[in-house]
Amino acid sequence: MVKLELRRDRIVARWGDWKSEWVIEPRYWRNPTIAITALFLLPLLVQSYPHILTMITTANLYAAIAIPLALQILGTARVNFGPQLYLGIGGYTAALLNLHWGWSPSLTFLAVIVVCGVIALLISPTTWIAKGLYFSLITLILPLTFLDVTFIWGDIFRGEVGLVGMSPLLNFTKVSWNYLAYYYLSLILMLLYLLVSDRIVRSRLGVNLAAINENEDVARMMGVNVDRYKVVCYVFPSILTGIVGWFIVHTFRTFAGVTYLPLEFMTKVLIIVIVGGRAFLYGAIPGAYLISIVEDSLRAVGPSNYFLFPLVLILLIVFLPRGEGLWGLYRKRRPRDYFPKLHVRRE
Amino acid sequence: MLEITSVTKTFGGLAAVSEVSFSVKKGEVVGLIGPNGAGKTTLLNLICGIYKPDAGSIRFEGTEIAGLPPNRICRLGISRTYQIPQPFEAMTALNGVLVSVLNGKKRRRMSLSDAVFEASYYLEFVGLFSKRDTLARNLNLYELRMLELARALATTPKLLLLDETMAGLNPAEAERALEMIWNAQEQFDFTILWIEHVMKIIMKAAQRVVVLQYGKKIAEGPPEEIQGDPKIIEAYLGARYAQHP
Repeated sequence: MVKLELRRDRIVARWGDWKSEWVIEPRYWRNPTIAITALFLLPLLVQSYPHILTMITTANLYAAIAIPLALQILGTARVNFGPQLYLGIGGYTAALLNLHWGWSPSLTFLAVIVVCGVIALLISPTTWIAKGLYFSLITLILPLTFLDVTFIWGDIFRGEVGLVGMSPLLNFTKVSWNYLAYYYLSLILMLLYLLVSDRIVRSRLGVNLAAINENEDVARMMGVNVDRYKVVCYVFPSILTGIVGWFIVHTFRTFAGVTYLPLEFMTKVLIIVIVGGRAFLYGAIPGAYLISIVEDSLRAVGPSNYFLFPLVLILLIVFLPRGEGLWGLYRKRRPRDYFPKLHVRRE
Repeated sequence: MLEITSVTKTFGGLAAVSEVSFSVKKGEVVGLIGPNGAGKTTLLNLICGIYKPDAGSIRFEGTEIAGLPPNRICRLGISRTYQIPQPFEAMTALNGVLVSVLNGKKRRRMSLSDAVFEASYYLEFVGLFSKRDTLARNLNLYELRMLELARALATTPKLLLLDETMAGLNPAEAERALEMIWNAQEQFDFTILWIEHVMKIIMKAAQRVVVLQYGKKIAEGPPEEIQGDPKIIEAYLGARYAQHP
């Protein structure tokens, strides 16, 4: 059983070989713990404002797209300009299977993993063939092509209006509970992605990915199997992004390619990565929250938000410390850690 | 150990390496010299898999390695340093060596901390342990060369390809680097194929020298013989200086 033990300054929990410590005094708490606690308490404060709850749920989902993207940029040494392709594929797979064949959310979840995995695997050789800007261009085109497909086969995909009426993940009798539950689900999804990506970056694999990000050819010369790692780093984050699409389908219960596939959405995600800082994983969370707060507060301004929003984004990019972003403002430099750079290479 | 037979590589119409053949025996130090543009680095790139030869074969310990990807060749036991140091700039010196330790040979079960331990051994060996937490972009040229050497040693090579290790070092540093390479060879027991422009060093270090000019091998032999060969003096200094017997 779990044995709890009170020391002078900390509580120690033991279970077999496993041991966990909790320092009692708050000033010694580790900041991630504080941030996660804050994120868990936040909806309780804004419970009575459903639109704020929706906004922070969206922020979580943005972060859940940006975190795998950061991992992908690190591992493939190329900037993917179209992560939303897999959001679209995942979303449409889940929605269509659910609507037409009546698959339950758990079944569509598996289907999304399989479909996104297979498509990503088919597209992944581009990471070997196309370098730098060319890769970015190819990935930029793909989601736009998919958007066109949703219009051409409008009777299946319903390009203009989107698909509606998918079965929900959870269904409480009170509507406000639903909002709350979806916030927590999205938060858990996002934190899970963060945890997985963080484990990857800190492992042996992470060292190899950092080497690939720095210099592919030298890494190859030192025995790193670059091609294999690149495929893994393309496919795995793509699946993670696809799962976000599945989540959107089964929580918001409506899915339209027009919302997620165009360039505007991609810009938002990429700017979250940049504003968050250096394609660094944690930066995605403050970045996502900032962007969705800005987006939401500018919506009140009226039609002029269409140019005010990009203006604010440009100002953020210019005035935040170059390359470090929000995360860099907060974090002290520790040279032991590797900070991946976000660079579009010419070759 | 390494057998190169009539290897040819052309870039467009230019034959960078043509019909070169020589062999390297185990435990030897072979120098590869020649004037600028003679195809020395191209030959090195052919050996370690950056380029694929148009014709000819390169065999390493009986295995044909021409056309294999560089990471496979590295696993077989060939490692190299670069003429212009190419460190992982945003990574610390220790992390750079760590990459080699983890990938230089099959180490499926090695934990990250064990790998760090081993990497710090190589870093200590080349005298850079105090710089372990310095980003590679902040190291000076000598330290970069030593980092390259540590990285190459960490892949546990059987054949080490050195590409102008001494270029840009002052005489004292070059002396230290030479000492380091000899120590390393004694301790880790590998063979060296060494491109070098600093004649003083290569004549001291190499047991045998291969001379390239315009992509062709023009001479091969122990350094004492090579030094007096009029063909080589002609290649380096022009026909006027060659004293024909």
